[in-house]
Amino acid sequence: MTLSHYLALSGVLFTIGLFGVLTRRNIIGILMSIELLLNAANINFVAFNRFLYPGQHLGQLSVIFVITLAAAEVVVGLALVMAIYKNLKSAYVEDYNILKG
Amino acid sequence: MIEQIVFYMLAAVIILSALGVVLLPGVMHSALCLGLCLAGVAGVFASLGSDFIFAAQILVYVSGIAVLILFVVLLAGSASDLVTRQINEQWLPSLLICAAFIWSFLRIPAYFSGITAKSDPAPTVRALAGALLGDYAVPFELISIVLLASMTGAVLFARRKAE
Amino acid sequence: MLEYVFILPLLSFAVAGVILAFGKWLPGRGASAGIAVAAWGFAQAAILFTKAIQGKLALPYEVSIPWFSVGSTQATLGVYVDGLTIAMLVVVTAVSLLVQIYSIGYMRGDPRFKRYYAYLSLFTASMLGLTISDNMLVFFMCWELVGVCSYLLIGFWFEKPSAAYAGKKAFITTKLGDLGFLVGLLSLFYCTGTFRISEILELAHIGFIPPAAAGAAAILLFLGAVGKSAQFPLLIWLPDAMEGPSPVSALIHAATMVAAGVYMVARLYAVYALSPVALDTVAWTGAITALTAASMALVCFDLKRVLAFSTVSQLGYMMLGLGAGGFTAGMFHLTTHAYFKALLFLAAGSVIHAVHTNDMREMGGLKNKMPVTYITFLLGALALVGIPPFAGFFSKDAVLAAALARNPYLYAVGAVAAAMTAFYMARALVMTFHGEPKDMKKYDHAHESPPVMTGPLILLAAASVVSGWALSRHEIFERLVNFEGVLPFELHHVSHGAVALYAGTVAVLSMGLGAWLYKSKPGIPAMLRGKFAPVAGLLDRRYGLDAFFLKFVALGDRLSSVLFIFDLNFLDAIAIDGWAWLTEKLSRIQRWFDDNVVDAAVDATGTVTLCAGRLARLAQTGIVQNYLLFIAVAVSVFAALAFAG
Repeated sequence: MTLSHYLALSGVLFTIGLFGVLTRRNIIGILMSIELLLNAANINFVAFNRFLYPGQHLGQLSVIFVITLAAAEVVVGLALVMAIYKNLKSAYVEDYNILKG
Repeated sequence: MIEQIVFYMLAAVIILSALGVVLLPGVMHSALCLGLCLAGVAGVFASLGSDFIFAAQILVYVSGIAVLILFVVLLAGSASDLVTRQINEQWLPSLLICAAFIWSFLRIPAYFSGITAKSDPAPTVRALAGALLGDYAVPFELISIVLLASMTGAVLFARRKAE
Repeated sequence: MLEYVFILPLLSFAVAGVILAFGKWLPGRGASAGIAVAAWGFAQAAILFTKAIQGKLALPYEVSIPWFSVGSTQATLGVYVDGLTIAMLVVVTAVSLLVQIYSIGYMRGDPRFKRYYAYLSLFTASMLGLTISDNMLVFFMCWELVGVCSYLLIGFWFEKPSAAYAGKKAFITTKLGDLGFLVGLLSLFYCTGTFRISEILELAHIGFIPPAAAGAAAILLFLGAVGKSAQFPLLIWLPDAMEGPSPVSALIHAATMVAAGVYMVARLYAVYALSPVALDTVAWTGAITALTAASMALVCFDLKRVLAFSTVSQLGYMMLGLGAGGFTAGMFHLTTHAYFKALLFLAAGSVIHAVHTNDMREMGGLKNKMPVTYITFLLGALALVGIPPFAGFFSKDAVLAAALARNPYLYAVGAVAAAMTAFYMARALVMTFHGEPKDMKKYDHAHESPPVMTGPLILLAAASVVSGWALSRHEIFERLVNFEGVLPFELHHVSHGAVALYAGTVAVLSMGLGAWLYKSKPGIPAMLRGKFAPVAGLLDRRYGLDAFFLKFVALGDRLSSVLFIFDLNFLDAIAIDGWAWLTEKLSRIQRWFDDNVVDAAVDATGTVTLCAGRLARLAQTGIVQNYLLFIAVAVSVFAALAFAG
């Protein structure tokens, strides 16, 4: 298998995630799509590490940090979702429009 | 040969489950698909020889984050979600944009064509441990502080206000 | 000792302010403060005087600090003290002190008592400043300040129109002379390049100043003295100045301020001495003044005005003495005159205080009612007339001797004036104090003044009696005021004997005649007055000087009405109104421009911003995914650019 395969897989996964972020109405769906984006990036990190810099571990370290931050993001994001849901009784982002100018 | 079969199978699982995450109307189904997708990504990590990342992916993502999302779906979801439209009205422009993205993403591999692994994968746990507690000790500690802060924040947000 | 002389005027000045500001809470409504300072000043002056005549002081003493500089000219503030200064200091402080004490009684109950004392202190300060100033600039400043004080005090009872008028008249008339003074000061500066008195004297002494220039400057400066010391022809203001309170007349218009002109001439005597013409001008002006003023006094019925004319006349004597080369004589007469004329004015004030009138025709017989006033007035009159051995005898004698040495005609004029002096003083004395009371109501009302008023009278009477004799003994005064080389020529020491004999005789005879006429034969003067009505009228009209100056003023008035018309019809109408019209039109154009261009631009900016905001607002949907879509579009555009390139 070549690096190109992994990059292509990562690109497809990222695009799917991006589409989800752009189109899901449900805020939990958006959060899940973001996880897809992060995983696409993680695949890239590990693939580059494996094919271009074998014997080094910087890419894998980055993945560890990304996973950690993703965990933190999900925790905070879900807490926010719960708080908003309690107040607005809705999980759909169209209802979160108080930023409307 | 086996490697290629494994890759394509993993790729199929990942892409299909990712599409499921994005497109399935039920949030519950999406969450389950997410778990599958993350497991697939873990498989990719394994096939790339990153044993520690594979373990971390399974432990944190599949058994941590995906389950957490499932909980929230159970808390915040409702039966009406299944009959409500789950895709918003900007799907068409989004689709075009995504097409543009995939077009450019699929041109990237051309820059790296023909690169194959020079060596067999080796265990990485010891090396990662040495790096995390050695050269990268400070970022490691900082990230732990971020985790602590986010945990505190999550508790504060989720707590029922004393009114 | 000398180092602290500069405090004298400053302290007086400060106390003037203090009285004005806090007089209400001071004991005696400010009088105490003024008197205390004046007493301290007199003590200082007396000590200085004593030491000076004992030769214990290093004179002249001079010290100065820089004030300001214009170009290379440095103006200084400083003190210049010599014998002349000390003599003047004693006169000013002594009279000021006694007058302020006297005023406690005279001004009692006046609503503006506090202000009166503030003015007196201010005047004293200015006069002291003038006396000790080391440069002509400060001298001029103080010179004008005393003028202001004079104005304020003449018009002190400004409710009376005549007092207000007299104040204005005094101020304007002296201003006429001050103009000459200023020009003279500047021309003197032009000649010498300095304002400092010591340097001017030095330059004059070594003959640095050309005599002609010195003469011109001296005569111009003398114009100031003519105004200030009421010399002919500017003497018209002094009689009217009697509208002020009597103590003011005594202090300012008899003893000190009017003597400032004499003092100025003496101060710059070295300059005058360079030019015989200037000296002659001074001498003849003095002589004419002495004669005309004395003749006017002959027919006057206002007690204070008689004294005022007498003052003018005596000032003429001083000028005569100075002009004739009798430097010492002039200053000597200034000193003694200050005492006896202050005495006469204060005594007259005491009388007026008692009978509430100035008119001698309503007085008479007051000697029984007011014995102290009578005696002191009598002593003052004797001193003025020059009966030996009173003060006036010595000083007037010296003046006449100097005049005789210079020019017999000067002497003749002076002698005639002296005879007139004796006559009118006898007349005033008799009309006021002797004979039958003319107005019984006023007579009954009359009473002796309180001790606070008679005390100064007695002290001044003592000074009038002894000062002439004491100061002329062993030539004390002469040695005090005469400094090295002040005179370009040797003063002829005329045997005083002949002059003295004549002067004494004339004085006695003339006074006796006057007393006899007015006491025993009051019909004769009235008959004479009727017979020589034109002459009496002329004298009453002060030789038409008033009318002349009124004409002068009227001329100015007419000139100014022409100027007014010019101003109204040309300057105002065309120049100013035209400018205003033009400015107004211009500003209308500017306003149009402002409204339609500048403001429009500003408004357009606002409008454009507003519209842009409305447009941009459309992008702010509030839906987060829209924003994200924009970001994605932007990224894809960049990506497309990157790959296409």
